[in-house]
Amino acid sequence: DTSGTMRVGDMQYGNGLDLRGWTPMLYPADPDGTSYLHAGMLRTPTGALYPYPPMADAGKPLGQGDWTYAGLLEFGYLHVGGDRNAEYFRQYDDWRSGAVLGLFALDFNNRKTGEYVDFRGSRVSGGDQFYRLRAGRYGSYRVEGFYRDMPHTVSTSAYPIWNGVGSTDLTLPASLVAGASTPAQVAAVSAATPRRSIGMVRTRAGLGYEGTLYRNWIGSASITNEKRTGTRLWGGSMFFNYPFPDNGGVLETVRPIDFRTTDVNLSLRNVGKVWRFLATYNGSFFRNHKDHLNFESPFALWNVTGTPQVADIKDGQFSLEPDNDYHNLRLDLSRELKWNGQFTVVGAWGTMRQNDALLAPTTCTGVGGIFIAPPVDYTFQCANWNTTAALSQKNANARIDTGLFDARVTFHPTASFGWHAGLRWYREDDKTRYLAYNPLTGQYGYISENGSQGSVVPGETGIFDPSNPLYRSYMVTVRNNPFGYTDTIFELGGDWQFGRKNSLGVVYTYDHNRPKYRERKRVDDQRIKFDWVSRDVVGATVRLSWEYAKRDGDKYNYDPYAQFFSESLPGFVEPVMGIAAHTVADMRKYDLSDRTESKARVIVTYPWGESATLSATFYGNRDQYDAVIGRQSSRTTGATVQWDWQPTPATTVNAYLGAETSRLGIANVGDADGPDNGAAFGTIGQTDPNLGGPLYPFANQWWEFDRESNRNAGLSFSHDFGRVRLDASYNYTGSFGHVGYTYDTVGGLAYRDPAAVAAASNGFPDNKYRTNTLDLGLNFAVNRSVGVRLFGRYQTGAFSDWHYAGFDNTLSYDHRIYTDKGGQLHYSTSLVGVMLNLKL
Amino acid sequence: LSGSRVAQAQQATAPAAADSAHSPSSALSQSDIAKMLPATDMGAGAARANNPHLPPVSDSPATPFDAASIPANPLAPQADAIGAKSCVACHTQENVQASHTLHVASFRAGAANTGPQAACESCHGPGSEHAKAPTAPGLIIGFTHDAKTSPQTQAGVCLSCHAGGARQHWIGSIHQNRGLSCTDCHNPMAKLSPEGVLAKSSINEVCATCHQDIRAKFNRRSHMPLPEGQMACTDCHNPHGSITKPLLKTDTVNETCYTCHAEKRGPFLFEHAPVRQNCLNCHDVHGSNQQTLLVAPVPMLCQQCHTMTRHPNDLQTSAGLGTGPHPDERLMGRGCLSCHTNIHGSNNPSGPKFHK
Repeated sequence: DTSGTMRVGDMQYGNGLDLRGWTPMLYPADPDGTSYLHAGMLRTPTGALYPYPPMADAGKPLGQGDWTYAGLLEFGYLHVGGDRNAEYFRQYDDWRSGAVLGLFALDFNNRKTGEYVDFRGSRVSGGDQFYRLRAGRYGSYRVEGFYRDMPHTVSTSAYPIWNGVGSTDLTLPASLVAGASTPAQVAAVSAATPRRSIGMVRTRAGLGYEGTLYRNWIGSASITNEKRTGTRLWGGSMFFNYPFPDNGGVLETVRPIDFRTTDVNLSLRNVGKVWRFLATYNGSFFRNHKDHLNFESPFALWNVTGTPQVADIKDGQFSLEPDNDYHNLRLDLSRELKWNGQFTVVGAWGTMRQNDALLAPTTCTGVGGIFIAPPVDYTFQCANWNTTAALSQKNANARIDTGLFDARVTFHPTASFGWHAGLRWYREDDKTRYLAYNPLTGQYGYISENGSQGSVVPGETGIFDPSNPLYRSYMVTVRNNPFGYTDTIFELGGDWQFGRKNSLGVVYTYDHNRPKYRERKRVDDQRIKFDWVSRDVVGATVRLSWEYAKRDGDKYNYDPYAQFFSESLPGFVEPVMGIAAHTVADMRKYDLSDRTESKARVIVTYPWGESATLSATFYGNRDQYDAVIGRQSSRTTGATVQWDWQPTPATTVNAYLGAETSRLGIANVGDADGPDNGAAFGTIGQTDPNLGGPLYPFANQWWEFDRESNRNAGLSFSHDFGRVRLDASYNYTGSFGHVGYTYDTVGGLAYRDPAAVAAASNGFPDNKYRTNTLDLGLNFAVNRSVGVRLFGRYQTGAFSDWHYAGFDNTLSYDHRIYTDKGGQLHYSTSLVGVMLNLKL
Repeated sequence: LSGSRVAQAQQATAPAAADSAHSPSSALSQSDIAKMLPATDMGAGAARANNPHLPPVSDSPATPFDAASIPANPLAPQADAIGAKSCVACHTQENVQASHTLHVASFRAGAANTGPQAACESCHGPGSEHAKAPTAPGLIIGFTHDAKTSPQTQAGVCLSCHAGGARQHWIGSIHQNRGLSCTDCHNPMAKLSPEGVLAKSSINEVCATCHQDIRAKFNRRSHMPLPEGQMACTDCHNPHGSITKPLLKTDTVNETCYTCHAEKRGPFLFEHAPVRQNCLNCHDVHGSNQQTLLVAPVPMLCQQCHTMTRHPNDLQTSAGLGTGPHPDERLMGRGCLSCHTNIHGSNNPSGPKFHK
C-alpha cells in the first residue's frame, strides 16, 4: 500500500495526446476476457461493466535471472492546423507542430523477489511533458522520482502596451509619456501592439520514498518542488474613470509569475490488530521571486476642483504575494471496538506565516494631493510616505494558526443496524496585527491608489489626522481585520439494512460556527440527510439522497467594522453630516445569512443485458436566503444519462447526454448619491442605514439573476478489425448564460439618462461557450511488435462574453486601456498525427 | 495424498477462518475433496514449520501482503480452504489475467520469500463449499454484481490487509455509507489499468462512473486541467475516506486549494473575509461558465455582498459595456478586479481595498 491518496497532487500523469497517460498499454483486448466460465465481462457490485482487459504480457526475460521486462515506445509527428492559437483549444495543452513522444514505458519486474522498476514518459513539447521513475519491492518499499511540465494558457489574444511584460516593471513605449498621454495616443499604441499569449508553465519535480521501517511501522517521505513561471493578466488602478471623463486611469496590466514552492511530506503509520496510528507532517514553503509590480500609467490626472494640478501621479504599484511557510502536524488514532465498532480521534495543529518586508505606502515623488487655497491644503509630501520609515512596522509579521480535533465513534452491533456519532472542532486564529500609522507625520491611514485618488478628489488621500481639521473626519482603514472562526460540528447518524439489497440511512448534523470580526458572532446550521440504497430496483442499483438544512444565527450586525476604521481612534470628529452608512442594514452576506437548503440526488446504474450498462444521475438543489438585500436564492437542476456497450472484446460503444440549468438571484439597492436618485449622500440623511430610508430608498432597489444552462453530449466507438483498430469519438459542450435584471425605478441604475435606460433593456447579451470535437484514430498492426497509429482531431468552438463586448474593435476607452480581448468568438482547429508504436 | 497434507497444513495457518476446529461441512471429507481436485500449492504453515528463520507473521487483521490469512465467509461458515490449484482448475483464464496484476504479482513475490500462503482464498475465502456447488451463489466470497457477499464483507476482506494509512477513515465515509465496495473502483483480477488495479482504465473514468455530472462540469469554459489528463479527482479527494464530508485530503477546503495555489495562503496584511473563510464562496472548483472558476459573473459576484455607498451598489446594465453609451470599468474586462486586483489579500500597507 502507498499513501498516494493521502497527499494532494501528482496522482495523474497524462496530456492532451493521451488523457490516461497509458492508453497504448491497454490494447489489444484479450478476446477471452477474464473467464472461460461465462461470456462477456463481470460487473462491479454496483452493476457497471468491467472493461475487457488487455492481452496479458508476461514480458521478456532479462538475462538469465528472474527479471523480465516489457516496454513500449510510441513516437511520431504532430501537425497543428487552423486557429492554432485559439485560447480554449490550448488552455492546458501546448500543441505545436513537430515531433512528439506519445509514450515511453519500460517496466522491469522480478517475479521472485517482487522488485520492480517502472519508467514512463511523454512529451508534447518542452512545456507539456512528464517523466516518472518508480522502483521498489512489492510490500516492502517504493522510491519515486518525477519531473513534469504542465502548461496553462490564460489568453492568446493579449495586447499589452507596456514594455517589460513578465518583469516587475512595466514601462510605457517611447511613443507614450507617463501621466501625459492622450487616450488617442494610447489607443494608437494599443492598436499597433502585436498579439501575444499570456500564460504560465508549472514545472514540478519530486522524490519520494515509502516503505516498511520496522515490523508494522511504515514510513513515507517526499519532497516536491514546483517552479511556476510566466505571466497573468492583472489590474492597475489610478482612480475611477467612469465618473470623471478624461480623468483617472484603469489599466489591465500583466503581472509576472515567478513562484517556487517546496513541499515536504512525512508520515509514519502503524496498523495493528486493535490500534491504528498515523502521524503526518506537511510543510510547504512558498517563495515569490517577484514580490511587486510597478507600472506606468499613460493617463493624466486632474483634480475635480479645477485648481491648478500640483500632483504628478503617474505610477502605480502592487505588492504581489509574499513568501510564506506552512507547517501542519497531524495525528490520527483509531481503535477497534466490540460490536463492530471503531473509535477514531484526530488532532492537528498548523501554522501559516509570512514576514515579508513591507513596501512603502506609495512610490510617488514630489507632491501628491490637491491644493485649493490656504488653509485648504490637501497635499502631502510623497517623501513622507514613499519610504518604509512611514510604516509602524517594517515587516508583515503575519501568522494564522489552526487547530483541529475530530473524534468519531461507529458501531454496527448487528448486521442490520449501525450508528455513529462525530464531533469536529476547528479553529483558525489570525494573529496578524497591523496599525496603519506613519511615525514620520503622526498620521494614520495610507496613500490610496498610490496617490491618484487624493490627487483627483480633495481629501480622499486615505489619511486620517486627528490634529488636522481637514483630515480629522475621514473614515479610512487604520487596522487590519484578523478574520478567523471556530467551527464545531456534531453529527449523529444511523443506518438500517432491510434484507440483503436495501439500506436506509439518516444523519443529523449540527454545525456551530463562531466567526470573528464578522456580521454575526454565531451561525448555526442544522441539517438532516436521508439516504436510501437499493440494489434491485427492476435490476438496477439506485442510490438516493435527500437533505434539508436550516441555517440561522445571532443578531446580524450589518456593520461590525468600526474598530478597524479611523472612527475608532481618539481625535476623530464626526462630520457635520454624520458618517455615511457603511452599508444598508438589510444586507445579508450569503455566507452568514439565514438559509433554507434542500438537495436531492439519485444515481441509477442499470445492467442492460449481458453487455451494456445504462446509468443516470438526477440531481437538484434549492437554496433560499432570508435576505432582502444580498443573495436571495440559488437553484440547480440536472440530469445525465450514459450508455456503455461492449458486445465483444473488440468493440466498445459509449454515448452520453447531460443537461443542467441553474439560477442565482440577488437583490441590491443603489444609494441616493446623485441628484436624480435621491441626493441623500452628503446630507444628514446619509447616516440612515435602513432600506427605505433617504440613503437607500426603496425606489433604488434592483434585482439581478444569472441563469445558466449547460448541455453535453458524446458518442464514442472503437472496434478492432484484427490488424486495424478504429476509434472515433464526438463530443459536444454547450453553455449558455444570461444575466437579467429588474429595478424599481431608474434610480437604481448606474446610468440614468434616456440613452442609457434605453440601452439597459432587461439584461446583458447572452454568453456562450460551445465546442464540437471529433477525434478519429486508426491503429495498424504491422507485426506483433510494430504498429502505426494515424489520428486526427477537428474542433470548432464559439465563445462570447459581454465583459469583452467591443474589445474586438478597440481595447481603449477614454482613460481605460485593456490588454485581453478574451477568447476567440469562433475558431476551428485540427490536429493530425502519425505515430510509430514499437513494443520493446 | 500430498494435496490432502498441504490442505490440512494450510488450514492450520488460517486463524481468520470461521472455525478452524469445525468438522467438514458436508459428507465429503477433505481427503475426498483432495482426490477430486488437483494438488494445491498452498502450505505456508508447512513452510514455516520447516524454516524457523522466517520472520514472524502478525495475527493483526492488517497483515503484510504476503501473509494474508483466509477470511471467513459468513454465507459458508463451514467451508474449508482447498488451495489455489483447485481454483485454477476451473478458473484458468482468471489465473492468466490475475497473474499479471500487481495484486497477484505481489502475492507471488511474497510467496517466494515467506511461503505460498496468499492466493485465491486469501480474498475469496475458503472454497470447499463453492467447489462442491460452483453455481450456488454465496458459497465463495464474491466481489461482483451477482455475488451474494455483502459490500461490508467485501470491504472487510480488502481491509484485512489494506487497513490504515490512506484508508484509516473508510469507516463512516460517504462511500462506505452508500454501500460501495472496493471493487466498485478496483479490480485486482485483471490489469485494466497499468497502475492502481482500477476497475476502469483511469482514475477519472472510475470516478465518472457515478459522478457523471461532475465530469460534465469539467467541460465548461474554466476548469482545472482534468479533461486534459493533467489531473485526477484523487489529486484533491481521497475516495477511501477522510475526516471531511467531500473526502478532501486535507482538513479544510482552503488547505486543499493552497496545496497548489500556495501563493494564496498568505496570510496577508489585509485579508478578504470570504476568501480566507472558504475558496468555494467565490469559486466552483469543478468548472464554471465564468472566468477563473467564479460562481457568478463579475460584478454580480461582488454585489452579492457589497452594497456600500457610492460605486459598488449601482445596477450595471448593458449601457456600461464596451459597446454601450457609457463604457464602465466596473463591468468591462475584469470588472471590479481591474482595481481591486489583489482580491485574495494584499500585503501592501496601502492595500486595505486590495488596490495595491
